[in-house]
Amino acid sequence: MAFTKITEYDGITEYKLDSNDLKLLLAPRRAAPVVAFMVLYRVGSRNEAVGHTGATHLLEHMLFKGTPTYNKHNGTQIASVLQRQGGVFNADTWFDRTRYYEMLPSDQLELAVHLEADRMRNSFIADEDRQSEMTVVRNELERGENEPSNVLHERLWAAAFREHPYHHPTIGWRSDVEGMATSRLKEFYDTFYHPNNATAIVVGDFDESAALDLMSRHFNPIPPSPAPIPQMYTVEPPQEGEIRFTLRRTGQLGLINVGWHIPEATHPDTGALTMLDTLLSAGITSRLYQALVETQMAVDVGAQAFQFIDPGLFMLHITLRPGVTHAEAERVGLEVIERMKTEDVPEKELQKAKNMITTQMIYLRDSPLGVARVIAEAEAVANWKMFVDLPKMVEQVTPADIKRVVTTYLTEDNRTVGWFIPKQEEGIDSNDEAYEE
Amino acid sequence: MMKPMKNNSFVARTRRFQLSNGVTLLVLENHANPTVSLAGSMRAGEYFSPAGKDSLAGVTASMLGKGTRRRSKLEIAEELESAGARVGLSSNTFTVSVSGLSLSRDLPMIVSTLAEELREPAFPAEELEKMRQRIIANIQEEQDDTRVRAYDRMTQLVFPEGSPFHQTPAEKAIGQIESITVDDIREFHQKFYGPSSMILAVVGDVRADDAYALFEEKLGKWQGAPEAVIDITETQLQPAAIRETVVMKDKPNADVVIGHASRLRRSNPDFIAARIANNALGQSTLSSRLGLKVRDEMGLTYGINSSFAESGIGDGPFVITVTVAPENISLAVGATVEIVNDYIANGIREDELKDEQSSIIGSFKIGLATNGGLASQLAASELFGLGVKYLDEYPTLVSTITKSDVDEAIRKYIHPEVATTVVAGTI
Repeated sequence: MAFTKITEYDGITEYKLDSNDLKLLLAPRRAAPVVAFMVLYRVGSRNEAVGHTGATHLLEHMLFKGTPTYNKHNGTQIASVLQRQGGVFNADTWFDRTRYYEMLPSDQLELAVHLEADRMRNSFIADEDRQSEMTVVRNELERGENEPSNVLHERLWAAAFREHPYHHPTIGWRSDVEGMATSRLKEFYDTFYHPNNATAIVVGDFDESAALDLMSRHFNPIPPSPAPIPQMYTVEPPQEGEIRFTLRRTGQLGLINVGWHIPEATHPDTGALTMLDTLLSAGITSRLYQALVETQMAVDVGAQAFQFIDPGLFMLHITLRPGVTHAEAERVGLEVIERMKTEDVPEKELQKAKNMITTQMIYLRDSPLGVARVIAEAEAVANWKMFVDLPKMVEQVTPADIKRVVTTYLTEDNRTVGWFIPKQEEGIDSNDEAYEE
Repeated sequence: MMKPMKNNSFVARTRRFQLSNGVTLLVLENHANPTVSLAGSMRAGEYFSPAGKDSLAGVTASMLGKGTRRRSKLEIAEELESAGARVGLSSNTFTVSVSGLSLSRDLPMIVSTLAEELREPAFPAEELEKMRQRIIANIQEEQDDTRVRAYDRMTQLVFPEGSPFHQTPAEKAIGQIESITVDDIREFHQKFYGPSSMILAVVGDVRADDAYALFEEKLGKWQGAPEAVIDITETQLQPAAIRETVVMKDKPNADVVIGHASRLRRSNPDFIAARIANNALGQSTLSSRLGLKVRDEMGLTYGINSSFAESGIGDGPFVITVTVAPENISLAVGATVEIVNDYIANGIREDELKDEQSSIIGSFKIGLATNGGLASQLAASELFGLGVKYLDEYPTLVSTITKSDVDEAIRKYIHPEVATTVVAGTI
């Protein structure tokens, strides 16, 4: 057989294609006659540097522009072919990975497999396509620039990461997106789009041996990369002291973002950090919601542990209620964090957070594409088995673990704070006064 | 002898019950995962808000989740969140939607909570005050969104004041929110919340008879308001095209909304033909006519779409939306109008029709592949009076539509010559 079975874990089987080292994960779930197919490439904006920031994302767009088999000139444009089947399909790019996916009626699995195998190596990366697609991406970037919350988020990562490429947003810097040569995109494609840098994932209603046969037929002929896939080696040095910045432009509500450096996804503290974001902001009984939204200081709050291949950030965001100062809301938000350094989280509260995370994982099983997405995210930053292990990791977290991660990572010197202060068209903005404090 | 075929139709798999107070309950068992999804509706949406208090229906729906005579909001949340379960009400143009999700063992918890919230709401004054402030802040935040500004302005120009599709201008909406009292909410609840228009669909890991017994016990004795009647007149096309600009600061991207009264409701006999007519024009940014030209070929936009935005109980607008850098607005709008005019003049191509038919049928199947999707579809078919059998018949209904059906729908429902175009951005 063309595939070697590597392991089987909780209903998911991992194979390796012998000829080119493509990794394949099969997760049959026969609840409904649909199937999700996804190809994950281990390349993201983490693999870019100044001058070609946004290359991974622009390249992802270019992979919809066609191949000699699938193209608009012969009526087989990629999106049209998938749309015809009523499929849910798209692609997305983030720091560590790029993924392409389709969810289709289960008798159409071969279409997805054929299409993804084809565009892995046969995509046109044509200059005229690059020109029209660059302006599409530029409009995508402009849409993001319209949103103060998005701009503040990007500035926070740029401030918190000085050397590591998590510094720049996945969509890239505007002038890089505009100036990027087609040859640079082609080089990116030829460097990273190979079976040995990819994981294919099939979830849903399919027969395992038929799926293996399909995969082997379409992916076996693709050779592995001619050279080893280059590894990114830049390391972010420790942050030595708090960083603060302000963003002022026209807007309505003030915003606060806070980020602390946290370890990589494979670190043993991942379970505790996942629990921490749930304790802080999941549901109306959560700590930040109670401290800020229930008290009418904020309209919205959130906390999230962003964990990647390399160390990421634990982030808080607060949307202020009009009339509340940034300083006041920030103080209350940080007090919630400080209290967790000295007081144990009650067992009952911990259990509630565990239940929320584990039931969420069970709900997810309803959708093959949902499962494929989460498997892919785990595979991109660590290993797909983390998807299976997460409920167990969370189950083991103790009050002492929570106290330890808050004390270790959520410190002042390790913190970056950004304020968005809206400039309003008339009247005095009370938030301006807050900044002067 | 031949073995009888297992009947896999939705009609055969769905059990239909009527609770003793008139609530319609549909149950479809699916034991693949230990979860249950709940979806449904009741006629108590924004249409029923009294003049001058346009958001009363929405506020009432949200206030139902803010505590009952037995338990505070926090006590209810504590119980649901500890089980990772959720259930709630939210208002739409004509109806209030019910949605819920839980592990199968917790279904009694979400049904009890729903019944308690519907039957014994407390409407605490301090919760109303908190909600008021949040809604006002949300309205203010939306004023910063080019898409919302363009869309709302279009509805104000296309639909007369008092129409459920006419979005209340922000300043007025804030004034109205400030005037809503607990008594208003209590009165609205008494007048419009009742079992007779209530539809509930339950899909997942539960036995149909058990579900019926549970809902009958918790909700069957509820005697609320009598059935609310919806009587909405059709909005006519405007006599001429209008163009307006909403000027905003610091926006690198502009949003353009082109809209007009659609005169299309779910009950129109040519509804499916109209849906196909729209889909070929602009349902997908990546593969419909508008997207293929304005995005793929001209590179002017990240997103361009068309839709019959609210063709359900009433006839909402037909809308084309496009996001674009301010310097490209006239190029994008010009190309859009040209494509639409060509489409009206020449109609859908046979190959396009075939593609759209298979696309609608495929995506319908995919939508029904989850418990949540199935529950929503069952509830919607019941709401529109189509019945469960519609889920079985829909693919056939779609595939029998002809080119002349679609061309007629295009000419009937798509009218760029009298559309209202609103641009919002830094212009």
